[in-house]
Amino acid sequence: MATGYRLSLWVIDMFAYLIRRLFFVVFVVWGVTFATFFISQVVPADPALAALGDNAREDQIKEFRERNGLDKPAYVQYAVYMNKLLHGDLGQSLRTSRPVIDDLREFFPATIELSLAAFFVALLIGVPFGVIAALNQNRPPDVIVRILALLGGATPVFFLGILLLQVFHAQLGWFPGPGRLDPYALTPPRVTGFMTIDTLLAHDPRTFWDSLYHLVLPAVVLGSASAALLARMTRGAMLEVLSQDYIRTARAKGASNSAVILHHAAKNAALPVLTVLGGLLGGLLSGAVLTETIFSWPGIGRYVTTSASSLDFPAVMGVTLLAGLVYATINLAVDLLYAYIDPRIKYG
Amino acid sequence: MASLPTAGPSTRSASRMVRRFRRNFSAMLGLTLFVLLILLAVLGPLFTVDPLAQELVNKLKPPSAQHWLGTDQLGRDVWSRVVHGAAISLRVGFLVVALSALVGVVVGLLAGSLGGAVDNLLMRFTDIFFAFPSLILAMAIAAALGPNLNNTILAVAAVSWPVYARLVRAQALALREREFVEAAKALGSRTLRVLWRHILPNSLTPVLVQASFDMGGAILTAAGLSFVGFGAQPPTPEWGAMVSEARNYIDVAFWASVSPAVAIILTVLAFNLLGDALRDVLDPRGRD
Amino acid sequence: MQLVKWLGVSLALGAGLAMAQDRTSTLIYGGDWTDLITADPGVSYEFTGGLVTDNLYETLVKFEGTDLSTLKPGLAEKWDVKNTGQGWLVTFNLRKGSKFSTGREVTAKDVVYSIERVLAIKGPSSFLYTDVANLKPGSAKALDPYTVQVALPKTASPQAFLNLLTFNIGGVVDSEEVKAHEQNGDWGKAWLTDHSAGSGPFVLNRWDRNSQVVLTANPNARLQPKLKQVILRYLPEPQAQRVALESGEIDIAENLTPEMLKAFGSNPKFKVYKSDNLRLRYIGMNAKEGSPFANPKVREAVRYAINQDDIINNLLLGNATKIQTIIPKGLLGYNSATYYTYNPARAKQLLAEAGVPNGFEFELLTATATCDFVPCADLAAKIQSDLAKVGLKANIKQIQNSEVLKIYRAQQAQMVLVAWSPDFPDPDGNATPMSDYNAKSLAYRNVWNNPTAAKLAQQAALEPTPAKRAALYKILTELVLKEGPYAILYQPAQNTVLSVKVEGYVRNGQNQVRFENLSKQP
Repeated sequence: MATGYRLSLWVIDMFAYLIRRLFFVVFVVWGVTFATFFISQVVPADPALAALGDNAREDQIKEFRERNGLDKPAYVQYAVYMNKLLHGDLGQSLRTSRPVIDDLREFFPATIELSLAAFFVALLIGVPFGVIAALNQNRPPDVIVRILALLGGATPVFFLGILLLQVFHAQLGWFPGPGRLDPYALTPPRVTGFMTIDTLLAHDPRTFWDSLYHLVLPAVVLGSASAALLARMTRGAMLEVLSQDYIRTARAKGASNSAVILHHAAKNAALPVLTVLGGLLGGLLSGAVLTETIFSWPGIGRYVTTSASSLDFPAVMGVTLLAGLVYATINLAVDLLYAYIDPRIKYG
Repeated sequence: MASLPTAGPSTRSASRMVRRFRRNFSAMLGLTLFVLLILLAVLGPLFTVDPLAQELVNKLKPPSAQHWLGTDQLGRDVWSRVVHGAAISLRVGFLVVALSALVGVVVGLLAGSLGGAVDNLLMRFTDIFFAFPSLILAMAIAAALGPNLNNTILAVAAVSWPVYARLVRAQALALREREFVEAAKALGSRTLRVLWRHILPNSLTPVLVQASFDMGGAILTAAGLSFVGFGAQPPTPEWGAMVSEARNYIDVAFWASVSPAVAIILTVLAFNLLGDALRDVLDPRGRD
Repeated sequence: MQLVKWLGVSLALGAGLAMAQDRTSTLIYGGDWTDLITADPGVSYEFTGGLVTDNLYETLVKFEGTDLSTLKPGLAEKWDVKNTGQGWLVTFNLRKGSKFSTGREVTAKDVVYSIERVLAIKGPSSFLYTDVANLKPGSAKALDPYTVQVALPKTASPQAFLNLLTFNIGGVVDSEEVKAHEQNGDWGKAWLTDHSAGSGPFVLNRWDRNSQVVLTANPNARLQPKLKQVILRYLPEPQAQRVALESGEIDIAENLTPEMLKAFGSNPKFKVYKSDNLRLRYIGMNAKEGSPFANPKVREAVRYAINQDDIINNLLLGNATKIQTIIPKGLLGYNSATYYTYNPARAKQLLAEAGVPNGFEFELLTATATCDFVPCADLAAKIQSDLAKVGLKANIKQIQNSEVLKIYRAQQAQMVLVAWSPDFPDPDGNATPMSDYNAKSLAYRNVWNNPTAAKLAQQAALEPTPAKRAALYKILTELVLKEGPYAILYQPAQNTVLSVKVEGYVRNGQNQVRFENLSKQP
């Protein structure tokens, strides 16, 4: 009886929590678009001139402003934008005259694919290195990991990209250059926009491997800073756990190192690491801007760079909206995961 | 009033901190790098030529006695440009951190000490800024206001302040319940005075640690902005812009892009090490 | 299970060797194609859009090779121009048997539809029809399936009209195919953005934005290409283009730096193709009353003070043509006169004569962009240092291009460093904007009001005899050279590096490359 009561209370709590969090997602998305809109209104330069260029006639400029609603007062423009947004319409790009949503659909998968790859790189490098360092505290492996982590956190993404491309592609030829596929590869029909998935759907394993191969360098570049942070966090969390009595007891009792790590330490160390991960995935989008520039990656980062430089604010707003959505969703997911791992956490 | 505990460590623990700091190798390394950087920014220009002077016939020349770090694609002296870039990056870093800490501390203090609706409103506002990918917001701001260094500073500060707001708010919330604040309130101190005398000084430690880390972060973000053309504009010898401009010559003149990049790495490293050290010393519980 | 099998097989094959396409029938062209926003010939007004649509669509008349002064037959076999007294009647006789990629024959109704379409859509290039040729809906008529007649008013130049038809705006679309894809009366604009319906040698197979544009041979085309496929691969970074060219991943590279061009020039595996661009890089000086540049002697001093040869040879490593007059090389009326030779002493003397022996301070506006091969700021810095030698102190102000234009257009700039490309390959595309104040273009922006120059430009535009026209332009260009508000710096070269395996690459001054002539040795 008591258990059932408690369970239903938990469900209600959880439900209320979810509602609140979803509300938060909506709020954040609204907030970022409002902020971007606000920024777009302080532009001293003219988006019409940016789009039409030097040879544009006065009447063309006027027509462009009217067509894109730029001649209306700011609050009207905002109302129009919000009204469209509520109907799922992100407006039209000033530069490409294409619905922003189509552009996002085109470019976003490439960025997610790259970010996920970078995320795995960060996990695969950061966590094991952190564990190794912790188990060898103050011995050479630890020192090496700490130095690498420090350098990883201090190296600009764009420089690492240039350097790796120059060394591993141009000089050594170990890895392919910019782009998602070999130029002569047969690009699979676009289904998901994820090259790795689309090549498999097209029953083209060679191109699949080619797409994976092309992912390696950009993923390492984009994931390096996260890997460094993750290694530090993992090391710290592991050290904390390892110093606790029950682990020391277990180790003293002769449990082998690996068993100890697997059973106790890793699970407890996962919590702080998880917290970092949420932030990392969100932060990858910023890194993607630079990585995509260097690796000619057809993602959202390059799109937003071109859009911002041509003062294409509907496009920039579309990207920030998407970014806000991703951020809020990931945060929510991390929180839920956190709760799953550590059920003691209350939803207050 | 005077008998109430004030902020700041006592002399005894301060000397202990200094000792702990000095025993820490990476802290000393960070400090050394930091001092060298300041010296470079302040005295370095005495040992340079005009960082903007073009000498087209002498472009992309390797390091030599005359050009310590070689010349770039316009025949400018890379060493002189890197040295002048130090002051630029430091200025960007300091101003960004000062600006964002100022805004963040004010927002955090208000939210934490006033509580209620104000707190809610301010923190939701902060949440929005957390949700922005920093570089994209900074790009939008820089694009709107026009790409130059001052706007870069504004743009990076605009994405950096929320951390301070959260930090200070958390600190203020914790302190609000502590006896000395309660006592001050009971003695009839006005809220503003309590904030100023008690909560603010006690929040400064984490703010200082955060600021040290953010210096490196701000310099990286500003360099990234310049790299994609939204920050410092040529011919300004900003490090990120230098890497960006020289990147097409990396195969024939790597020194032109590698030198400013190494400068960025060492600078960021210095501030990160200092941040680590400060946290260890000031806030031993927060150590990783 | 099948998936597992694949993966196993693929593992055995090894990674990174995807080579699904034949290397001799596919050509990969690397470049920064970011400006491509539409493949619609009636809308596109950007460089890459032109490059692509020129190969998807045919025009009534066209230029061949690098010659931009002799019109050659395209879809029209013959054409003639009649002066009716009230205006001009241009009649085109279409050749029979030209087919669209859909298999339909190209007829007069498609030509008329294509013209009407441009007028209705009002895209960024439509002013060529409306303002230059003074076309209106109904101006073009189909007399029979193979005859089109276009009526122009007296004010329009028939020669300019014919010239602008060679531009992608003149591309003829399959009217039935386009109508079938119309959405909400958009004249098929949305669909044609990334599809093609033309009679050109290629069809648009796919366009993965920011990644690649795949053009495949059009089986129905009259002009059969030698290659099966041309892929434009997006490689915005010059360094990436260089590496890809060296490793054979791409066959042509579009945006290399002067240093890279020099290195490839001495590499036997590559060849450098030099072509002229119709763009002029120039300095504009505000001649408004009260401006320091109002005195023609000061403007002359500036022209004497700038070391053009140093800019071209050392900054651009020779990748530009020296020019001082306003009509670029490649067009009728090009005047190669170099009246001003670098002479700081003469510049100082002129400044003294103008009453400013000690010079003055002013603002030099430039964009946060690349000026041809170098950052605009670097070029501006070079000019700044040249001018400083004669006592003119330029303060460089670098702002976004659109902001530069805003100030310049409002006649508010003192000195600007910008470029101009004619809207269509006709000398009038430069002569009128740069000479006629009332055209509200460059002469207006620099507040240079010279009725003689304006009148000469108008006269030359409407002169039907090329020889007489050229003579008029000679007078005009020399007048503007000496009195005008410009210091022309150079005409940038458009240099492309090709693998020696590539044959048939020819590029004219309006950046047209006929892909059907390209071939590749194994």
